[in-house]
Amino acid sequence: MELSTEKIGDVTVVGVLTEVLDAGNTEEFKTGFASILNESNKVVFELGRVKFIDSSGCGTLLFCQKQLSKLGGDLKLCGVQESVHSLFELVRMDRILGMFDTKEDAVDSFKKK
Amino acid sequence: MKKSKPLILIVDDNSINIDLLVNTLKSDYRLGIAKNGPKALEYADKHLPGLILLDIMMPGMNGYEVCTRLKASSKTKEIPVIFITAMTESGHKTRGFEVGALDYITKPFHAAEVKARVKTHLALKEVHDREIYIASKIQKTLLLGRPPGDIPGIQIFQLTVASQKVDGDFYDFFKFDDQCFDLMVGDVMGKGVPAALLGAAMKSHFLRVLNEQLRLSCKKELPEPAQIVSSVHSGMIDHLEDLETFVTLCYARFDMLKYIFSFVDCGHMRTIHFHDGSNRCSLLQGVNMPLGFPEKEPFRQISVHFEPGDFFVFYSDGVTESKNKDGDLYGEKRLLDFVQANGRIEPENLIKKIWNDIVAFSHSEIFDDDVTCVLVKIDKDLSLPALTTESELEITSDLKELERVRAFIRGFCAGVKDYPLDEKRISTIELAVTEITANIIKHAYQSRSGETIQINAEVLADEIAIRFYDRGEQFDQESVPQPVFDGSREGGFGLHIIAHTVDEVLYSRDEQGRNCACLKIKL
Repeated sequence: MELSTEKIGDVTVVGVLTEVLDAGNTEEFKTGFASILNESNKVVFELGRVKFIDSSGCGTLLFCQKQLSKLGGDLKLCGVQESVHSLFELVRMDRILGMFDTKEDAVDSFKKK
Repeated sequence: MKKSKPLILIVDDNSINIDLLVNTLKSDYRLGIAKNGPKALEYADKHLPGLILLDIMMPGMNGYEVCTRLKASSKTKEIPVIFITAMTESGHKTRGFEVGALDYITKPFHAAEVKARVKTHLALKEVHDREIYIASKIQKTLLLGRPPGDIPGIQIFQLTVASQKVDGDFYDFFKFDDQCFDLMVGDVMGKGVPAALLGAAMKSHFLRVLNEQLRLSCKKELPEPAQIVSSVHSGMIDHLEDLETFVTLCYARFDMLKYIFSFVDCGHMRTIHFHDGSNRCSLLQGVNMPLGFPEKEPFRQISVHFEPGDFFVFYSDGVTESKNKDGDLYGEKRLLDFVQANGRIEPENLIKKIWNDIVAFSHSEIFDDDVTCVLVKIDKDLSLPALTTESELEITSDLKELERVRAFIRGFCAGVKDYPLDEKRISTIELAVTEITANIIKHAYQSRSGETIQINAEVLADEIAIRFYDRGEQFDQESVPQPVFDGSREGGFGLHIIAHTVDEVLYSRDEQGRNCACLKIKL
């Protein structure tokens, strides 16, 4: 799973470079995420490239958020495509995960606590 | 067989006159006698005499009024009336002709003259009746086509009641194949033999044009209704102009593959479209002038979608222009309301009921115009395998196959030609098939590898059905807990997503012991 990372202050911005996040690759995604978890507890997923997510993908994002909050941090999302966003709404994830248009907005949101 | 003698009704209040006329006519005719107006009307209505000799000056209802009433009833209006009167002034005669009399005999009369006039008018009437008979024969044999009875999913019923004056209603059906047929209904302006012959000519011209255009179309494509009507019009316009008449027409095509009704309406009565889904009727009106009017614009064709269970009612003006005693017309609205109120009745009975309603309205079974009505019903449960587009895919029980399943569905959806699906819709369908497939792999096959899933997608009349077959554990919907949306659980969203992305989900087990999950998406 291709994940790029970029550190902005104490926030890690993870570029999700796959177009699909479904039951077929969520395990890989979790493995990739595990290494990020070692570095930071404040994470932004940049999902601009992701065109398709299924329920496993949603579950995986919730899993990541839970891991981060256990460490006192949080997960934010940015650049979510419209079709993916409507799925998030369907499973009410838009109420649980902070979603932002740009990564800057997402990073800034950590400061406002 | 010897023809019985014609029946003649003598109407006079004066017994001496009656005796004179009886003696003059009794050897050649059967005679009926009425001594006043009301009796005369009653007798005429009951016995329909071949001719009436009518005295003008009678107490109570005079001869003019009797004649006016006879002419107002469609049943008795064709009976020739000869007035008998002592009055010789031309003013009275003129009045008599105005109310519909054919001739006069002036008192005191000569027996030979009475005989001669009666004979002449009976002969003229016979010629007239013969013409009507021929015209109605033409109508029955040449003008009214026989509906094809063998189109799957379609039932056609017709009602035709010829009037006393044939007025050139015609209709016909052209079947191309099991999925497509054309229906043409028309009405020639005018009555009798000329109208009937012109109707027959129109029909044969349509056949010729169809034949030519089908031969010319290189591919399997059918000529469009607008093209057909346009060719017929250019072939017939000169004749129609010479005859100073015109033809109203609706030429319609039923495409059972696409569920499209396309029609070219040229000033004909508005077709009624009953929608099974909403229980409502709509009126389909075209924009073209009747054939025979100089063509200004190209003929325009209109297409509407129909659903299983819908039906269409085509009719002639004889239906809507049936009159009651007060001269009110049956009218389009009454027909529309009647069809809407009775839309759930079997079509065969509905068309009978329409007829009964017209009869009840007009208190008569004899009409000035032909009453024709054609009802085309689309069967409600259409399961026509020939109408489907189908695709199949087999995958192994590996979550890596999900991408292939989506690609298969994307390709399949792109091939749904008649109802193009937009990106968003396709992406929700992709989501649903991903969820179903992942569930089968993870739960039915418990993530075992090496198992297979067959996927079959097909377009039915108005929906897409995608079926997933597996040989794993049977799925029990009851066992699935409700999804939790507070972020505390990472799973359990699959069924919720499926339920919200497709119109219907059905789980079953087939005769081969396979589980079948079927997703239905309405088009």
